Amino acid sequence: MKVSFFETVRYLPPEPLPSEWPVPSGTYDREAGAAAFRGVMERLEYVEQLGFDWVSVSEHHYSPRILTPSPIVAAAYIAARLPRIKIALLGPIVPHSNPVRVAEELAMLDNLAQGRLIVGLLRGTANEALTYDLNPAEARQRTDEGMELILKAWTEPHPFGWQGRHFRYRTVSIWPRPLQQPHPPTYALGTSRESCEFAARHHLGCGVSYGPFEVMARATRYYREQCARHGWQPTPEQIVYRANMLVADTDEEAHALLRRQPDQAPFVMRAGVREAMLTLDSRNIAGQTRSPIVTGALPTTFVGSPDTVVEQVKRCRDVVGAGVLDLSLHPPGAGDLEPLMRALELFGGKVLPRIRDL
Amino acid sequence: MRETGVREGHVEAGGVRCRYQDAGEGPALVHLTAPRGSSLTPAHRLLAQRFRVIALETPGVPPSPEVAATLAGALQSLGLERFNLMATAREAATALWLALHAPERVLAMVLEAPAAMPGVSREANLERRLPALATPTLVLVGTRDDVAGPSPGRVYKALMPGAHLVFVYDAGPAVGADRPEAFAEVAIDFLERHEAFVISRAATVIHP
Repeated sequence: MKVSFFETVRYLPPEPLPSEWPVPSGTYDREAGAAAFRGVMERLEYVEQLGFDWVSVSEHHYSPRILTPSPIVAAAYIAARLPRIKIALLGPIVPHSNPVRVAEELAMLDNLAQGRLIVGLLRGTANEALTYDLNPAEARQRTDEGMELILKAWTEPHPFGWQGRHFRYRTVSIWPRPLQQPHPPTYALGTSRESCEFAARHHLGCGVSYGPFEVMARATRYYREQCARHGWQPTPEQIVYRANMLVADTDEEAHALLRRQPDQAPFVMRAGVREAMLTLDSRNIAGQTRSPIVTGALPTTFVGSPDTVVEQVKRCRDVVGAGVLDLSLHPPGAGDLEPLMRALELFGGKVLPRIRDL
Repeated sequence: MRETGVREGHVEAGGVRCRYQDAGEGPALVHLTAPRGSSLTPAHRLLAQRFRVIALETPGVPPSPEVAATLAGALQSLGLERFNLMATAREAATALWLALHAPERVLAMVLEAPAAMPGVSREANLERRLPALATPTLVLVGTRDDVAGPSPGRVYKALMPGAHLVFVYDAGPAVGADRPEAFAEVAIDFLERHEAFVISRAATVIHP
């Protein structure tokens, strides 16, 4: 089992912030922000030292919850400062980007990081459609086309044109190419039928997040079926599961921590926007419809003492089939660093060595 | 300017005979304008493709709850029970008072380059009441507005839970006159979808 640390930049606001997304940027506190960014490297040096395989960053906008709207900038900075750990970009939001630009930046980053780049491509959460005026009804199609164009830009030997549905280029010929060949390990992130089929068709990995093991297993099972249909089998490392983990000395302590977590959904939009989004944005888990909007806090699927968590990881490995865990050891948005550092120490000392060989 | 399809009339409000122009079909959109300001602009003509636009000249007195109540009565006498409301410059405050006076009658508002009264930087009595006003409100401010600038719009945005602030690039205080298509597109989208207008419906398909 490989483990990845999900770095979100822990911003501790001096005063409570409105929960509604987008959060007014005028409430950003520069000092708190500078402190949050200073803390990143201190934490990640420890993460590398503990033996984590990857550090991951993701793309979210207009909110203090995750302060990496440009994950590529964060990844480049981290790659320059840490010598060994792999840098996982999970991932650029494809449908509201220029796919050729994404292909170029990722290729550049793979070279800067001397071949340590891992890439996850995704559609993004429903609220992110608002960030760059993306029509949610087109998001799925733009994601699929964008992902395919990125792969093509990385691998095609000659200058080419692209006559797409949503993207059109007469000339593409990127420099540099990625260092890793044919391209960095790449995942299509998401539980949807379309995402799993895309991954299977292009021999990519699959990434699922936060949901209960049995639910996420529906997607990974579908992904493996599709891979088989395309004549190949993914390795465990080609299935990533991103999750929240609360590990403490005892089960009681961990559950007490869990009870103290605010029961707040991420990226809460105003009621009228949310309702409209429900009619425009459609999502599924391996073909079965799910709501595009998360209500309530994201689940914490690993919680307990190191012994308990090790057992949960084993179950996750068996049920979901994941060979990589991408972990938030304290839910994103929690700025409180003490418990996070304590959890890291505990995880590194008492969990990681016991799940390494699963 | 007289033109076909435009009906002109007068209505009494607080003892003042107010002129109005009325064009188009559809849900009612009342535009409160300054006296002698009701001439229909290209923006009005674009709006009139989707709405019945009634450009009404206000009595030309400072915005107040009383003026708003008077206008509400005048609109009633025109048979306008529920309507969208648009207002320009200092009439924005009149529109806000009207929405506070009869919130059930105002479906949504568009405030074009809102401006305080000359010599008055803030309208404390009005602002105190805005946090309770839930009317969906779009504030449009031109990036070249050097009369009131963005301050009044920012205040409304900060105080009103249902307010949205949109800058119209390269427009002065007469946003609708300077960039009629840009003005009408966002105003129509907002009046039809209210806060869901933040969700893009633009198609980007080049070839099917």
